[in-house]
Amino acid sequence: MSTLTLREAPPERLDLLPITPLSLSGLSQGEAERLEIGTSRRGVRLGDIFTVSLDGSDTLTIEGGHERLDQVGAALSEGTLRVNGDVGQRLGAGMAGGRITVSGYAGPYAGSGATGGLITVEGDAGDHAGGALYGAKAGLDGATLIVRGRAGDHCGDRMRRGTILVGRAGAHAGARMIAGTLAALEVGDLPGFGMRRGTLVVGRHGALSPTFVETGSHDLVYLRLLARHLQGLSEAHAALLARPLRRYSGDLATLAKGEIWVAA
Amino acid sequence: MPAWVKGASTDMDTAIAAAAELLGAARTPVIAGLNAEVSAIRAAYDLAGRVGASLDTLGAAGTYAELGALSRSGAMTSTPAEVVGRADAVLVVGAKPWSTELTGRILEARPSRGRAAGAERALMALGTGAPQAALTVPAEGGLLPGLALLRAHLRGHLAEASPTADLARTLAASLYVAVLYDPAEVGEMGVETIQGLVIDLNETTRAFSLAVPGETQDRAVVPVAAWTTGQAPRTGFGRRVPEHDPWRFDAARQVAAGEADAALWLASVPAPAPGWLSRIPSIALVGDASPEAAEVVIAVGVPGRDLGGVLWNETRGALTYWPARAGGAVAADLPSAASVLSRLTDHLAGRSDTAC
Repeated sequence: MSTLTLREAPPERLDLLPITPLSLSGLSQGEAERLEIGTSRRGVRLGDIFTVSLDGSDTLTIEGGHERLDQVGAALSEGTLRVNGDVGQRLGAGMAGGRITVSGYAGPYAGSGATGGLITVEGDAGDHAGGALYGAKAGLDGATLIVRGRAGDHCGDRMRRGTILVGRAGAHAGARMIAGTLAALEVGDLPGFGMRRGTLVVGRHGALSPTFVETGSHDLVYLRLLARHLQGLSEAHAALLARPLRRYSGDLATLAKGEIWVAA
Repeated sequence: MPAWVKGASTDMDTAIAAAAELLGAARTPVIAGLNAEVSAIRAAYDLAGRVGASLDTLGAAGTYAELGALSRSGAMTSTPAEVVGRADAVLVVGAKPWSTELTGRILEARPSRGRAAGAERALMALGTGAPQAALTVPAEGGLLPGLALLRAHLRGHLAEASPTADLARTLAASLYVAVLYDPAEVGEMGVETIQGLVIDLNETTRAFSLAVPGETQDRAVVPVAAWTTGQAPRTGFGRRVPEHDPWRFDAARQVAAGEADAALWLASVPAPAPGWLSRIPSIALVGDASPEAAEVVIAVGVPGRDLGGVLWNETRGALTYWPARAGGAVAADLPSAASVLSRLTDHLAGRSDTAC
């Protein structure tokens, strides 16, 4: 297991896009320490901030995170990345495969545009978790994102594919969803606003837009398959599907092919 | 030539040297406001490239609500003159448009051109009512659900009788619909819903959106930023190439997070300075100068008053040149913001290796 140990708080935001187990595996100690990760005109190299210990394996641990570590695991395609601490914006944004685990807080846009792999945030996440970046076509796009704690507003905004599981999400969860599945124990106001397709499963919710209409209670085979799929990721979310569910269809302002399942 | 360093009056050379010192020592400088004429905005981008600064604008909330929706769903927009001349139905969304001069002009006139020429003009309100509105839909749950409900009716997904249904029917039966809104008030999702319902209306009639004038020069900054960097305004030059990131280069966030360590506030068109400016070493290039506005304050000419300059013209929806007004300060008394910024850039050129 390779390890990067944070020695001091970064003096500027860092861009960890080039740092993955795969990219480090072919580098010598000196080459890795000279990788540019700064974002200001002064610049910072990996060795300035982190103590680097490499063994060429496909597992990398970052010991001691910080809110200024941006794009952690954003280029991940295979292997495992673990952060013991917090991270900044765009955790695993655009990642194609592999596993990322963050023990603390993740900044905004976690999992944005990620097409494969599993991202787990054990603490809270900022706004736009699994949501789309400015000008991007889609938010989460095939990966699985799990936020054990709270996610901010606009969780799963414009997500297109994949699964998001969150403990509690703020306002506008699943807004403008193109497709995919978002399950939350609780969401804030206007979940699924402007959603075209896709599925939301929620335990409790804030104000629902009047452009969602109740379409009754159903016992669908699909829900049991979904419950079995979620069981392996989070028992609390799978348990939502075991409760009686009311289905709302919407958003009628757009395509209206989305649905919100509310557990009784 | 009024200039102050730490509250003490000084000459221009000393003030520029102090400003260059302050910016040159910073790791992550920010240039904010950009409430200025086009030449000054261009000079600000040059300076940012020189010192590796990021830029942010005064009206960024509204600007990014517009740009975000534009980048996702496109937009069908009109100009104030077109709406005044052609619209027979005007839907006013929210409270802000009612207080603009544009709404007054729309109320005073009737359509004189196009397919609705000679028809009566009806103003309708969504959200906040006004005595001038022929029809008001209150939108108790907020503007977003109100807009969504209207769009659902226009698409035929909802049909039960309600004030929203009446509004949808009236709009669909009109010849030229204009939807007036303030982007900062309705937010990105609101703008997107408005653009969606305008596009839906165009299936059967003509309809356009029109964002009401902001009180900032953001509409001038957006094209300058685009032709300079290829990006929207919130761009940083820390890594020598322009990087666009609306979250990272939000100046208020950068100061609150302790990332920015120097700021230059540019407001040659007078505007209130943000509260965060006093929390870090700062320079102010402002039209309404006071010694305590920042650590280094340089008074610059106000475009269209003391000096000529190109500003955003709301009435014409274009960038236009405004000459100095008779009775303004003599040009020699107050330098242009662009000349101060380029002197600052030249001053820093000798000591910085981050030329872009």
